[in-house]
Amino acid sequence: MPQMNMADHRGAVQGRVTNASGAPAAEATVTAVNDENGAQFTSATDQQGAYSFGALPVGKYTISIVNAGVTTFRRRGVNVGENASETLDIRLDASTAAEAAEADRQDLLQKIATLEQRISDLESSTVLSDPETRVRRVEVYVDAQGGEHTEPIPGVEPTVTYERERVYRRQTINEKIEEALAAADEQSVSLGIDAATVTQGARRTRGRLGETGNAYALASADLFFTAKLAQYTVFFADVVALSGSPPDAEVPTLSLLNGYTARLETQNALNLREVWLRTELFGQRLALTAGRLDLTNYFDANAFANDESTQFLSDALVNNQMLGLGSNGTGVAAEFDAKTGLRFKFGFQQSNSDATNLSDSMYTLSEVGYTFTPFALPEGTYRVWFRTDNTEPGEVQRGAGLSFDQKITNSVGLFGRYGTQELDSRFDDKYYSAGVGFQNGLIFFPQDSWGIGWAHLDLASGEKEHLTEGYYNFQLTDRLRLSFNLTYVLDEPEAGGKFGYVLPGVRFQASF
Amino acid sequence: MSNRRRVIAGLVFIVAGVAAVAAGLQAQGVKIADPTSVVMIVNRDSNDIGFMDIKSHKMIGRVFLGNNVNPHMVMMSPDGRYVVTGGTRANKAYIIDTRTLQLVKVIPTDIAPEHLSFSPDSRWYYQGNPDGDSISVIDMQSLSKIKTIPGFAEPLNVTFLPDGSKAYIGNYGAHWVGVVDVRRHELLKKIQIAPVPGTAKLDPDKYLGEIKGVNIAAPSLDGRYLYAADSDLAVVGVIDTRTDSVIKTIRVGRDPWRIYMSHDGRYGITANNGDETISIIDTRSNTVAATLEAGPDMTGINFAGGKAFVISSTSGFVYVYDMQSLKPAGRIKVGTNVQLETATTDVADEKIYLAESTNHEIVIIDARTHAIERVGNVGLFPWGTHIMASKDNYCH
Repeated sequence: MPQMNMADHRGAVQGRVTNASGAPAAEATVTAVNDENGAQFTSATDQQGAYSFGALPVGKYTISIVNAGVTTFRRRGVNVGENASETLDIRLDASTAAEAAEADRQDLLQKIATLEQRISDLESSTVLSDPETRVRRVEVYVDAQGGEHTEPIPGVEPTVTYERERVYRRQTINEKIEEALAAADEQSVSLGIDAATVTQGARRTRGRLGETGNAYALASADLFFTAKLAQYTVFFADVVALSGSPPDAEVPTLSLLNGYTARLETQNALNLREVWLRTELFGQRLALTAGRLDLTNYFDANAFANDESTQFLSDALVNNQMLGLGSNGTGVAAEFDAKTGLRFKFGFQQSNSDATNLSDSMYTLSEVGYTFTPFALPEGTYRVWFRTDNTEPGEVQRGAGLSFDQKITNSVGLFGRYGTQELDSRFDDKYYSAGVGFQNGLIFFPQDSWGIGWAHLDLASGEKEHLTEGYYNFQLTDRLRLSFNLTYVLDEPEAGGKFGYVLPGVRFQASF
Repeated sequence: MSNRRRVIAGLVFIVAGVAAVAAGLQAQGVKIADPTSVVMIVNRDSNDIGFMDIKSHKMIGRVFLGNNVNPHMVMMSPDGRYVVTGGTRANKAYIIDTRTLQLVKVIPTDIAPEHLSFSPDSRWYYQGNPDGDSISVIDMQSLSKIKTIPGFAEPLNVTFLPDGSKAYIGNYGAHWVGVVDVRRHELLKKIQIAPVPGTAKLDPDKYLGEIKGVNIAAPSLDGRYLYAADSDLAVVGVIDTRTDSVIKTIRVGRDPWRIYMSHDGRYGITANNGDETISIIDTRSNTVAATLEAGPDMTGINFAGGKAFVISSTSGFVYVYDMQSLKPAGRIKVGTNVQLETATTDVADEKIYLAESTNHEIVIIDARTHAIERVGNVGLFPWGTHIMASKDNYCH
């Protein structure tokens, strides 16, 4: 019981507690709780059932008796006056117990309601409700005197301007943070990395040309930098570094057995592979890319055989061998996408970095592509391209090709390529490839893919090559892939003497 | 009485009757006599519901809900009597009388009410509370909340069967669809759309970070099957509503936001924001008939005039696809630096009413010619639209 200070203004409450039969209830604990401040006082009944609170601070009290955890009596609003003595006799019977239980229930409901309200208030208060401003692009009408009107009237010219408006939106803190981060991202330079390690073995199965039994490894890292410069205009740079030994240094095939080898210009050195600006015009239908680039990246983009980092490894199944561009250079690529499935592409590029002018080293490439759903099949894309190259003095080499990728079902797709190039005014160099790709079905994990492809080169010089490759690409996470490749190549060199190789390979690739 | 007099008397009687009815309606403050004659617009930042005449494209009225309500989705009851919306920041449901445009009831819900649906008989209004992980059941006879069904995980959309016996809840915070017994308003069953792949443990950031599960289970025309796209798993699960089990899973493009069903029921299209494509599912074979390039940040797909119109929110374009040939059919440029929200299609499948929030306008697209008409000043930040009996009534 709290210590009493008799100097305070106090009063008393006393009475007698009896049970249902009228007998005194001894050793019952009577509790008085101040309704205003929650101060609690207790008094035990004696053998006659009497209890007493001799000096309670003035105020309203709730008097209660709890027996074995159950409230058996409760009376609210018992008034304690200054220097007054209140008598409250208590009879503990079924009606007082029921009354007390109901009071308990009401208290509990009130507490729940209060709690719900507090939770609701808390939830509501965690949103930002301050008005914020944003700038809008608006069309207004300006008269000859420079007066601005919101509606057209005679003698005004429509013009576009910007003005601020106040927005009353409630956002959660998370929404606000996400917006701020997204805005910051838009302003910054983004960095992307594509790193891969390709390990291959080469076992000669036929002939005597080239090494046998050796293992090869090539590591590649591409660093991509992108930045938004203006509306629909981006800057892109690709810095690549490679090191290692691909099988192409020891196995003298017509095409590259490792598609990454094409990038290997200098061992262990950074090489600025591409750097360009891209802008989109006419409702984003026309895209122009200008700078240092590899024009073939933007053409013949076969869906099933175009990426040495995730699909086939052999260059013969990545690129059409008749595209005939050996190096990156300064150029321009234009793509018109009618958004009806029809695409037109044209580009030119310097094809010889040693040339002293563009006129003498001009490589051009044109393509028409069409995406549609033929014969109740899923979508397929069909392309035809044509290229010229005047790198050789006094001669313009030409080449042409076809390419298609056609889904047969949602899981299976076919692809094919054909290419030819001019040599001594005759289109005698030929290239073919075909294959099948699998996604979504017949796979271990949902994002995996695999494929089998065949490529054939038949050159006017008499050299020939047959290449078959299969791969399975495990998509371990969104950023990590592991793939297994098996390649068989059979070459017929000009000098005679066929040779064949089997090349198993493992590719580990991270992209983020 | 001669025939001529009878005719004249009859005409006078009819005219008087019509005049009396009109006067009566006027006296009662009737603003909308025909609930099919309006387009409803939910204005997030001005906290109101706008009503636009579907013929004249004039605003009939706007019903203010209260400060900082932030209404999310608007819907009219199938009987046309009420218009309702959930106030996301106010944690309340708002019920408007369609005829008088009076706000007749405000009902507390659980946390952050967003999408909603009515039972076909207009009796029950199910309000999803994504942050409360619950569905508030509102009795439209007594206009009171009779129950809160717990146990969901970010419930986004509700689909009632045509007979009203069951409702299916898409849980964006999980990979299952909840089946609710509408008679008892109880969660009966959780239908897993597809298992999480075994490689998930290699990528905990993806699978333990933000979850993007099932947005909606969209019904076939007869209600026999439901199509539920799961964003993280990049599949559409086909649910047989007789057995409440998945009979097939169809792999689609990356991060499908949800599936939208064509009006003839032949196709369902997922908007795959992960790879900016759409996957067109043939519902007869339950296979992907085509995967076509689309745009970024797709928020909705409408069907009209034999075409699909795909809203690319941040690009300012609506991408169009011919649903006969399943080929791209061009794009419609709505604007530059504008944000497109969601749209509804009129019942004639001729016009699409698209909310464009940057300029506070509704963009009306003619499905045949692709011509656009703009109706400005409809309210601040129009977030979505709704037309009674439209087959394209959805929200973000």
